[in-house]
Amino acid sequence: MNWPTFRHEAMATFFEITIADQAEDYARQAAVAAWRELDRLEGELSRYVESSDIARANRLARGATIAIGDDALECLLLAAELALVTHRAFDAGYASERAADASADSPLFTLDPGAHTLTSHAARLHLDLGAIGKGYALDRLARVLGDWGISSAGLNSGGSTVLALAPPAGELGWSVGLGEGATHRTVPLAHAALSGSGIAVKGAHLIDPRTGNPAIRAGRAWALAPTATLADALSTAFFVWDDEGVAAFCAVEPEVGAALATSHSLLSFHGKLREFCTQD
Amino acid sequence: MSASSTPLTRRDFLATGAKLGALLATAPYIARAAGPAGKSDQLNVALIGCGEQGRVLLNAALKIPNIRFVAVCDIWTYNRTYAERLLKKFGHDPKPYEDYREVLSSHPELDAVIIATPDFRHAEHTVAALKAGKHVYCEKLMSNTVEGARSMVIAARETKKLLQLGHQRRSNPRYLHARDKIVRDARLLGRITNISGQWHRAVTDDFGFPVGQAIPEAKLNQYGFANMHEFRNWRWFKKYAGGPMSDLGAHQIDVYNWMLGANPRMCIASGGVDYYKTHEWYDNAIAVFEYPTKEGLVRATYEVLTTTSAGGGYHEYFMGDEGAMKISENPKYTKIYREARAPEWDQWAAKGIVASPLSGEGAPPPVKPWEKVGVKKLGGPSKATVDVRETAALSAWEIPITLDKAIHQPHLENFFDAIRLGTPLNCPGESAFATAVTILKINESIAAQKMLTFVPGDFTA
Repeated sequence: MNWPTFRHEAMATFFEITIADQAEDYARQAAVAAWRELDRLEGELSRYVESSDIARANRLARGATIAIGDDALECLLLAAELALVTHRAFDAGYASERAADASADSPLFTLDPGAHTLTSHAARLHLDLGAIGKGYALDRLARVLGDWGISSAGLNSGGSTVLALAPPAGELGWSVGLGEGATHRTVPLAHAALSGSGIAVKGAHLIDPRTGNPAIRAGRAWALAPTATLADALSTAFFVWDDEGVAAFCAVEPEVGAALATSHSLLSFHGKLREFCTQD
Repeated sequence: MSASSTPLTRRDFLATGAKLGALLATAPYIARAAGPAGKSDQLNVALIGCGEQGRVLLNAALKIPNIRFVAVCDIWTYNRTYAERLLKKFGHDPKPYEDYREVLSSHPELDAVIIATPDFRHAEHTVAALKAGKHVYCEKLMSNTVEGARSMVIAARETKKLLQLGHQRRSNPRYLHARDKIVRDARLLGRITNISGQWHRAVTDDFGFPVGQAIPEAKLNQYGFANMHEFRNWRWFKKYAGGPMSDLGAHQIDVYNWMLGANPRMCIASGGVDYYKTHEWYDNAIAVFEYPTKEGLVRATYEVLTTTSAGGGYHEYFMGDEGAMKISENPKYTKIYREARAPEWDQWAAKGIVASPLSGEGAPPPVKPWEKVGVKKLGGPSKATVDVRETAALSAWEIPITLDKAIHQPHLENFFDAIRLGTPLNCPGESAFATAVTILKINESIAAQKMLTFVPGDFTA
């Protein structure tokens, strides 16, 4: 069955929402509400928007504090957590210039959740939510759809992160493709997010935050996680890590899975994605 | 050693989803920041109207120290709840209201009210708040009728309370720099002869509402709305608002008046409902004005299109005999150009009035060695040949000012500073009235399909 799909440009890419089991007019109105929320989020989170919290943070002198909005706070809290658990394989602040007298593992910024403030500890803070912000936005759009009583929908940002809500009636999940060439396959995704990272589409854009050099992985990496925020950020970490690191992480995170394209004909699965794909 | 070989510990587990767990996991990133000194100048504020624009103002106001929201008011529970939830995240405990009159009667501690209701309610809400002894920040357009706008100015005058209108560009540091430094002090545009301006916006669908969230029709009628569709799409209906020229154009035509320090003497405009099937207000409109100024007449055009994003977004473009300035809330549409006949601007760059186009964001790529820069000197006919081609491009410069705050924050700060410190308002009722008169006359001209004139007395409430 064909369900209506709605498309909107934001955050330097396109977003799509496919809504099942609703009248098309109602689905369109819900999508309009979601796009308004997306545009608002871009204004809060994009480092390219002059007045956004992130652009403002990036202009801070060391030790200076600014008030930030709730979305910047939440997204940065998640980014901080992911930087810690991935040992900076994902790090939204990796391009910052660390203060000369700061230790290598001291945080570049701190947040005061009660006061909604951010304080810079970097000589020059350079936050970039490019590898988490679109996933965060997808989770927020799902919340808008929830307000509208829409439970069955598939959302994606630029084709690189997919957030699947409940599947359409009678379906196992939203059909999502991963793998390349001979390894390409579709998986039915429901109540989960899948995100891919690679250099084939946009060129060499993935830097290993730990070294500042381009990551060495040649094929793509995919991350499965309960939220789009996590999947988006983890796919970057998985691309940066070697295969053993990805496997170790998935082994201790029961809700997370990974797929790694090790060659044109070989795709390896880890964690929850292994269960998923071996059923295929 | 690769990070992948780092042993994972219990602390490495994802805690996301449980707020407390997330905070524990991110402990190195959490630290109490030094707060603003004291709360002696705290202002108690209420928000009346919690729709999209109300939320924008709320988010901006929450970044200003010592502002305490004590009440939120909206006839739609869905919007009101959003505002309540957001404020609670910031530690505020606002009381929710459906009827603005209860806000005014229940909160003697209120210092100020922010009004972001549909235009047709601005006068009623503003006048009542002023008469209750509150200072008012009201969204533009001031009112959808001249009489409504006039009643707001008179109420502010009689109550001696402050009335700021939401033409926020007037507090934007880039616009203030443009007017005060570039246009007035340095006079880089020379004599301004023309203005053009535009807001081009792609087609948008009408707003709907979530199932189960409809306001009962009797309640809608009580508050002046015909039905839920008109309530959600009030900007497109004549009973509630002034259409795109009022929603979008008012910001920019206000800048025309403000930048020139003048009001127009005539306008002629055309517009129509040629595209949308569910709107009363025109979807596209084009207006022409004449502004008498001390230096001579300025001819201006303005167009608002809601059916295409083509043609360069939204900006105001002031053109003079020595330079031209294209300015927008969005810095990517902002540029200042020097006419070839004008003196060089290097001294103004040195003083920080303009910035060289050869540096900073948006700078052109470096010039290749084989590309010649500068003006060709004309030689005599026997010495050189002059290529005949299109006019050379003007030299493009930047306005070296960054808006380092939420877009509406400086204008709200100006309002709160006026209450606390007596700072002059950047957009008091009297001057916003002139803008409202200008905008409403454009709509009149479109309806009458003819040129209309102003007399100076029209702009005084």
